Amino acid sequence: MAQITRREWLTGAAALGAAAALPAVGPAAAQTTQKRELVVAQGGDISKFDPHFSTASNDIRISFNIFDNLTSRHPDGKLYPGLATEWKLQGQTTWAFKLRQGVKFHNGDPFTSADAKASLERTYDPNAKTMVATVYTTVDRIEAPDPLTLLIHTKKPDPLLPARLGFYGGQIVPKNYLASVGADAFNARPVGTGPVRFVSWVKDDRLVLEASPDYWGGRIDVDRVVFRSIPETAPRIASLLKGEVDVITQLPPDHYERVNSGPTQVRGALYAGLYVLGVNSKRPPLDNPLVKQALSLAIDRELIVKELWRGRGIIPSSPIAKGDNHWDASLPPLPYNASEARERLKKSGYKGEEVVIETTVGYTANDKPMSEAIVAMWRDIGVNAKVEVVEYSVRAQKNRDKSFKGMWWSDPTSTLGDPDGMMWRLLGPGGPQDYWRHARWDELGDKARFSVDEKFRAEAYKEMTKIFLEHNPWIIVIQPYEDYGVQRYVDWVPNPNQQFEVRRFNFRMRRT
Amino acid sequence: MASSIPVSVPADAVALAAAEPHPRGRAMPWTARVGVAFVLLLAVAGAAAPWLAPYDPTRQALRGRLGRPTLAAADGKSHLLGTDHLGRDVLSRVIYGARVSLVVGLSAVVVGGLLGSALGIGAGFRPGWIDSTIMTVADAQLAFPFILLAIGIIAVLGPSFPTLIVVIGLSGWVSYARILRSQVLVLRSREFVESIHALGGSVARVVLRHIVPNVLSTIVVIATLELARAIVLEATLSFLGLGIQPPTPSWGGMVFEGREYLDSAWWISTSPGVVLMLTSIVVSRTGDWLRDVLDPTLRGE
Amino acid sequence: MRGLLGFFGTRLVRAVVAVWLVSTVVFVVMRLSGDPVPLLLPPDAPHSEILRVRKDLGLDRPIGVQYAVFLGNTLRGDFGRSIHFREPAVTVVRGYLPASLELGLTAFALAVVAAVPIGLLSAVRRNTALDHAAMGFALIGQSAPTFFIGILFILIVSLGLGLLPTGGRGDWRHLVLPALTLGAFAMASIARLTRSAVLEVLRADYIRTARAKGLAERLVVAKHTLKNAALPIVTITGLQFGTLLGGAVVTETVFAWPGIGRLAVQSIYNRDYPVVQCTVFLSALMFIAINLAIDVVYGFLDPRIRPR
Repeated sequence: MAQITRREWLTGAAALGAAAALPAVGPAAAQTTQKRELVVAQGGDISKFDPHFSTASNDIRISFNIFDNLTSRHPDGKLYPGLATEWKLQGQTTWAFKLRQGVKFHNGDPFTSADAKASLERTYDPNAKTMVATVYTTVDRIEAPDPLTLLIHTKKPDPLLPARLGFYGGQIVPKNYLASVGADAFNARPVGTGPVRFVSWVKDDRLVLEASPDYWGGRIDVDRVVFRSIPETAPRIASLLKGEVDVITQLPPDHYERVNSGPTQVRGALYAGLYVLGVNSKRPPLDNPLVKQALSLAIDRELIVKELWRGRGIIPSSPIAKGDNHWDASLPPLPYNASEARERLKKSGYKGEEVVIETTVGYTANDKPMSEAIVAMWRDIGVNAKVEVVEYSVRAQKNRDKSFKGMWWSDPTSTLGDPDGMMWRLLGPGGPQDYWRHARWDELGDKARFSVDEKFRAEAYKEMTKIFLEHNPWIIVIQPYEDYGVQRYVDWVPNPNQQFEVRRFNFRMRRT
Repeated sequence: MASSIPVSVPADAVALAAAEPHPRGRAMPWTARVGVAFVLLLAVAGAAAPWLAPYDPTRQALRGRLGRPTLAAADGKSHLLGTDHLGRDVLSRVIYGARVSLVVGLSAVVVGGLLGSALGIGAGFRPGWIDSTIMTVADAQLAFPFILLAIGIIAVLGPSFPTLIVVIGLSGWVSYARILRSQVLVLRSREFVESIHALGGSVARVVLRHIVPNVLSTIVVIATLELARAIVLEATLSFLGLGIQPPTPSWGGMVFEGREYLDSAWWISTSPGVVLMLTSIVVSRTGDWLRDVLDPTLRGE
Repeated sequence: MRGLLGFFGTRLVRAVVAVWLVSTVVFVVMRLSGDPVPLLLPPDAPHSEILRVRKDLGLDRPIGVQYAVFLGNTLRGDFGRSIHFREPAVTVVRGYLPASLELGLTAFALAVVAAVPIGLLSAVRRNTALDHAAMGFALIGQSAPTFFIGILFILIVSLGLGLLPTGGRGDWRHLVLPALTLGAFAMASIARLTRSAVLEVLRADYIRTARAKGLAERLVVAKHTLKNAALPIVTITGLQFGTLLGGAVVTETVFAWPGIGRLAVQSIYNRDYPVVQCTVFLSALMFIAINLAIDVVYGFLDPRIRPR
């Protein structure tokens, strides 16, 4: 079956290649297809289907398509209706959701407020043992007064609850099916309300999904969606260029030019987050703000963006990602000034202590090359810097134990489109990157989290940014583009937060 | 000959038997000369790397990254084997990479050789539970892909020179142990050893004075063949991302780094890879020749 | 016959001890190598969450207890549940096994089918260009690192000539390069051994006699040589099958082949202890079974080797 499809496609590709070679024909006009199958190659395979048991990006690309959330964050960064059609705040602490009518799960069960209630409660149910138990810590209790109404009561005012429902932990699972077959069988044969349903999975090989015919958002534009795992970059690109696949994820910037020509093109989205060096600010000399200022000033970000990223990124100006609430357009990009860096290093009383970047290889794009480049820049201003390569699992463990020697790569995602879901979530007291405390910063962060007054929040984040750039609990490096390689006949816009949308509003094949 | 092939010997030991027989005592064939010359060249290159390498192997030039091999680049600099993804000179890195390969390879051979020889002689000299314990452990080690254990151990200890040397050394002891054990068994039964023993010579004395000199040539032969294997294993581990830490260049690590650029900047992977391949071929060929000259009996073992 | 039984009995006991040793060493190394839990949870999970998940997975118990449980379960063929996939480890490994068998058997078949005739021809046409070329390639195949052979194939055949896919599993075209890469070492070893075994036999007296009697060269080779060289060839062939297991780890990684070698490496990185244990146990078992099988074949082919 797959073989026939591929052969068919190959003849198509030859025709396309010929057409693209004709100068008179515009590329857009030539790029159409009759394919009824979308093949996506990712950098790694999924591990599980149960959406409450994984937050890995390879997994959520699939689970966000098999399942729906109550709210849906589109590629434009805004929140749209999902399984909930509208929502509003009642009083200070109650969010009321009106649910979509006539939605069915893939097994035919109707979707009701009972499913929504059970799904969200399941995430933090100690017996369910999920991996997303901390997403809804602000929730006090959930009510389902009628099949199409859901009331969520929060412990304190939570302005970001609808945003939380749109990301991981918010996927809605079928209550009755799950209860009758159990978690393991559900994980093996997932059932959701999403635009595609499960067909088959051969691990590390291919995962086949098919269009759900009566999806409430409209049947998607192809019959089948196949995910393949191609871990190496060069083969992944080769399979796109040869026309074996339609979309590839994780396209490194060095290959931009080659992929963005002929029948293929690059589709990129500015990442909803930042690439930063996490800093163990408890450990000398990194407990000294002057040293960290010097380190930040010594990084020639323009050179890194231009050469290592081939221009596929921007120099951040603050710990708030461009595109988020309260991003300040008036701030200049983080400066590079080697002589000023030397000056501050001298003033700091730095005595040649070792500064280590513990980097993974390929956990975040360009992590090791950037580490080596930055260490060379630091050595230039007289810092005794070095790189140590650690394996991903070692990094995870050090992350857990908070035992990094100095710095490490982190790619904080803005899960809520708001600084609360990024810097405060990670750097706040008790957060996973809690290595640095500052009384005023903590006070502002806490107040901003539970305030529904956006003007107050704006002021708070402005002041927090100022404190941040003095103390550098992260050394911010770049806000890159997340690039995908696609065939030109695929009409699709990537989502900045690594969700992969094939829903009707975002995806179609160009056909003649 | 067939009757004495032990059934679960390591592949290396059987490879010993696989080569073409050379008449004993013939002059060094040209292949072996080339081999020895190559190894010497490599050692010299590694030792004299600071003078030989055209550039500092860790010096980056981000503006000149992924440069093609050229005699005269735009900035007037020549990079015979091009530059890598950080603009470092590939030729210089290949030259420096010889250091890692040789240091790790030779040290690992010493570790494995000492351990394996001691255990092999011990097993041959002390039949009974010592012998069977050692041989059972050897069986166990051969029974599954050692590379998995190596990955596990390096994941625990983190990659460093000492860890790599010990792990690679550990991977090689079985060859020595098995072959020496059988040789010692033969030697032990010879009259002169038996009589010394009977006359009250200490075990240590017997081993050092009479056994070791007799098996030394065998050890040298195995060690040479093991050196090729150790160099390849080091490169393989580096290729899997478990080798020496950056920015120190190692051949396997360079092949790994260049993989992403196979179709656009092929020289990053292929330059160190080809040198590695040549080294491995030449060293093992030299081992074959040494065996034929020093210890032709091994062939038929 | 009692002697023969005793011989195999001893070997069997040693094999069982070997499997136990391997499992224990891997158990210890894996437990030392770190905690799988941080890999499962989102990066902002609090400490209490981590403790809870550790408890659920039984990782909070003393290592001695974990080891006892592990041994008991292993004896019953139960390796526990994969931490990464949330499935029984045996089920996971079974899912990856067909791909590995497909690759391993193809590589092995390619190696034997190509190597024996090449070795034979090289011996008969000794010192001709053909012999030198064949043995040159054999030398490369035996000495060159597997991962670099794979890289060269990808570079030249896939990316350069565009003839075959770069990796993954699919139709026969996906199988060619990984099978050649994996089989290279075995092919080279078998070819070299065949050549020298045949040479040795050709020099033997009875062959000379046969020749002197005027038998045609072709017939001499066919009739006597192969028969007499068969034993060592069978041995090395069996041994090479064992080395395929190690080679599979690298080959499957280079070609993204969804087999148990790659699964094992990924599982080490994921700290998925049950799956690592299961793959290692399985490969040890296979290796030992192959060796025992060779012993048996040997025992019947050549009664001389039966121990006193």
